[in-house]
Amino acid sequence: MKQFGSILNFELKYYFKNKVFVGVTVFLVLLIAAVMFFPQISKAFRSDEETPGESKQPVMLVKAGEDQQADTVRGAFAAAFPDYDVQSTDADTKAIEEQITEEKAACAFVITSPTACSYYVHSLSMYDTNAETARGVLQNLYQMDALTDSGMSEQEAGALLHTEAECTVVSLGKDQMQNYFYTYIMILALYMVILLYGQMVATNVATEKSSRAMELLITSARPTSMMFGKVIASCLAGLLQLAVVFGSAFLFYNINQSYWEDSAIVQSLFNIPAGLLIYMLIFFVLGFFIYASLYGAIGSTASKVEDINTSVMPLTFLFVIGLVVVIYSISSGDVDNTVMTVCSYVPFTSPIAMFARIAMSSTVAWYEIAISIGILAGSVAGIGVLAAKIYRVGVLLYGTTPRLGSILKAVWRA
Amino acid sequence: MILKLLDIHKTFGEKEVLQGISLTAQSGRAFGLLGRNGAGKTTSIRILMDVFPPDSGSVQIDGQPIDYKKVQIGYLPEERGLYPKKPIVDQLIYFAVLKGMRKKDAAAAVDSWLDRLGMTEYRNRRLDTLSKGNQQKIQLITALAHDPHIVILDEPFSGLDPVNAMLLKDVVKEQIERGKIVLFSSHQMHYIEEFCDDIAILRKGKVALAGGLHDIKRNYVRDRLIVRTETPEPIRQDLKDRCMDMPDGGLMIQLADPGEKREMMRLLTERYELDEVKVFEPSLNDIFVQYAGDTEEKGGKNA
Repeated sequence: MKQFGSILNFELKYYFKNKVFVGVTVFLVLLIAAVMFFPQISKAFRSDEETPGESKQPVMLVKAGEDQQADTVRGAFAAAFPDYDVQSTDADTKAIEEQITEEKAACAFVITSPTACSYYVHSLSMYDTNAETARGVLQNLYQMDALTDSGMSEQEAGALLHTEAECTVVSLGKDQMQNYFYTYIMILALYMVILLYGQMVATNVATEKSSRAMELLITSARPTSMMFGKVIASCLAGLLQLAVVFGSAFLFYNINQSYWEDSAIVQSLFNIPAGLLIYMLIFFVLGFFIYASLYGAIGSTASKVEDINTSVMPLTFLFVIGLVVVIYSISSGDVDNTVMTVCSYVPFTSPIAMFARIAMSSTVAWYEIAISIGILAGSVAGIGVLAAKIYRVGVLLYGTTPRLGSILKAVWRA
Repeated sequence: MILKLLDIHKTFGEKEVLQGISLTAQSGRAFGLLGRNGAGKTTSIRILMDVFPPDSGSVQIDGQPIDYKKVQIGYLPEERGLYPKKPIVDQLIYFAVLKGMRKKDAAAAVDSWLDRLGMTEYRNRRLDTLSKGNQQKIQLITALAHDPHIVILDEPFSGLDPVNAMLLKDVVKEQIERGKIVLFSSHQMHYIEEFCDDIAILRKGKVALAGGLHDIKRNYVRDRLIVRTETPEPIRQDLKDRCMDMPDGGLMIQLADPGEKREMMRLLTERYELDEVKVFEPSLNDIFVQYAGDTEEKGGKNA
């Protein structure tokens, strides 16, 4: 036990002194900080620019139709385009085109009939919705005219036109729309951390073997202590990294909460139910254990670090297939399909599949969750023992990477 | 303290690597474990260190099965290597702690060994910044820092310059004097001859020859004489095929049987102008080639 503690300590130190590990963590925190503070920063810049006066706003020219009041039209456009300096014009089309090409005006609307207009712009950007907005303005003007013509007062007509119907959504089960984003992010986080750290464990073991530190290690410590020391150390390092990244995201979100009130997606991300976080922790730890111990076992059979990439491929594929099934299912909204149900019991895919179902399905029963976690926990023990045995045999094998069959045979005999 | 390996068998897959190995080593004496590559030396050492159990047979200390919690073993593997990217002092302390030392004691022991081997200046450097010889000295510390009862040194002198070899010799002698069981494995026979009192030669998983080095040499069939002379030609002509040239310029004379020794010596000194005449005692190298080699013929009939 003391030996295991020393190994855990030594391996943890490896992560904390590893520049890549620290660098990636710091980078992620900075990235999240940049994203979360972005609205505040950009607003600060914008308010600076606005102080010299409103003349900086781009000019929008509006040419009213023959039967229309130029002032009414200008007023309606100005209200609809607060970012533009809307000016009336009665120049002909050619003159308007010239003004735009000479960049005296950013764009122009020429109203040709009460229900049609042309939009002139220097070059149309991808997100230019001005024409769409103008269509609404024009439609509104036309309807107003029609209503006032039939004897309604302007106020009544305005109130009528601005009436909006409401429909409140009451979801009795899960709100898939809201759950979708954080489920997606958490599954991706689980996937990335398990894969990344699993590979790190494998590389770590193979490095010890190729540098021949293993020769001394196997005579100094029990292989099981060595393997579990490594797996648990990388699990802790991964958890810590996740906690730092998610924790700082949560902190930055709370600092900038007022700036994010409009964004439903971001709001939903930070309103994860605590129960789901606990499930995430359970599935992360158990899933991590299965994969990391298998990665460790595979690492022990490779003699060179270069062999790792090909050796771990089947395991990585297994996980990627699980991820594809889960992502496809949560995107389609049907998280209780047969494949997902099977995947949520198979220990290699259940960490992400069952988690997705808990987060997004209304029909998943408590005993299903219990069975899934039970199978997973049992597999952790079984695979842990098997991996430790492979590790024991593997660390002493040098030369070409042995075939799976011969390793299992050797494990059987050992 | 007496260390015994008793009738150890070990099979890997189809191959029986050890076929009944028995060895005896004792405190204050160095034991040379010899054999060609693949003879079973490393497997024997690993079984002794409890890396894996033998299929049958046992490892005993003073007649009792060895208790690895009480008996500490230090090991310098032939395949050297530690963590190349980590600071030297960190890994040395780590290995000493794994061997059961407390961290504080480990740090003190590591520092005193670094000082002893003149490596203190490299204390905080990364291992891969050191020369091969210096890396080897660092590796030696992992074998000795926890003050083990049994010290196993596999090819300890390979890669060392003469000054460092001298330093290592002193360390090894000191370990022997302090009553440790020192187990040597090497292909450099002169080092074995210099240190080891007892040897065992392994051949294809069996002990081909074991015992005190002195006794082995003495008991070797004494039926050859070595003669040194300025004028070897008359001897060659007179003794014809009983006389062979030695690589160092001397002549080896084969006797009909060991009892002929005195008669032949008298004859030689009377008839020829000699510088030296003596009974041929084989070097360890000769013994090794004879016992560890592929030939089935055994020269030492009484060994």
